[in-house]
Amino acid sequence: MKNLRKIFVPGLLTLAWLQTSAQQTIPNITDPRLDFTVISPKGDSMKLSSLKGKVLLLDFWASWCVPCRFSNKQLVKLYSKYRQSGFEILGVSLDEDKADWKKAIAKDKITWLQAIDDRGWDALSAIKWQVDAIPASFLINQEGNVVAINPEKKDLEKKIKELLGL
Amino acid sequence: MWAVSSMAQFTNASLKAAGLTCSMCSKAVKKALEDVAFVQEVKVDIKTQEYNLVFKESADVEFDVLKKAVEDAGFSVASLKVTGSFPEVHVKKDSHVKAHGRNFHFLNGNGQALRGEQTLTLVDKDFLSDKDYKKHSSVSKLECVKTGKTGSCCEKEGMGAGERVYHVVI
Repeated sequence: MKNLRKIFVPGLLTLAWLQTSAQQTIPNITDPRLDFTVISPKGDSMKLSSLKGKVLLLDFWASWCVPCRFSNKQLVKLYSKYRQSGFEILGVSLDEDKADWKKAIAKDKITWLQAIDDRGWDALSAIKWQVDAIPASFLINQEGNVVAINPEKKDLEKKIKELLGL
Repeated sequence: MWAVSSMAQFTNASLKAAGLTCSMCSKAVKKALEDVAFVQEVKVDIKTQEYNLVFKESADVEFDVLKKAVEDAGFSVASLKVTGSFPEVHVKKDSHVKAHGRNFHFLNGNGQALRGEQTLTLVDKDFLSDKDYKKHSSVSKLECVKTGKTGSCCEKEGMGAGERVYHVVI
């Protein structure tokens, strides 16, 4: 019974999220209610929907978030393993201090796409994706559909392989 | 001397939260504090790991409500410093003072006069770590340090029995 609840409760929550945040069965990054524009370390703007076609992990984090920094370490390995096959990560930092953000990118050896939405919890991207705690991540398939929310690293790797047909 | 001045009130505070997980990594504490009726604004200071609160003008600021908000969000208060303007009062170590309609028990002080803007640190149980609470509460032999309520000790100082008394250091 306990196991059943473990399976069912997250399932129901996900379903509720899908229904309320977008009036379609599956949330898609081209939906204007989910799409956002953020700024790269070089100062260029980047639109989420422009990444459609990739197997994408949208990852919300901040330099001051210790669990996020731990997650970065794991993502570095995953990214180097699958980037050649078409896997991309968009890290969206909620840092308010750009220097802290850039320092963390260098320290964690992040080579994937990075952008900042420098308004902390008031960042529009985080509000659109209903992010109440970080780290928060969303796995998105080639069609731009969200296929997993906060996947565990093991599960994430399995899903990436599936989506990439490996 | 202990009269409540209608001009005087607490204006702002800095609060630290603690818990099993990173409290700053969740919106929960910020949101809970924003939902408190007398709180006007909450700003998160990542560098000091503090929530900086601004209180509504002339609001009745009750520190226990802040503590409850943090606890209901799943965290505990690790530190609360409150700033407000004071009427002129003299504080002596281990003595009670009434200001802003609230009872305060100063666990330190050397008879200095408080006047104008002052910042007090709350040292009541559950407003700081257990270790620091033990350190501060050992200063006083008065029963209210343990209960947080005025007892027979306080009546001569113009406080009724069983009233909430906040223990502070300056």
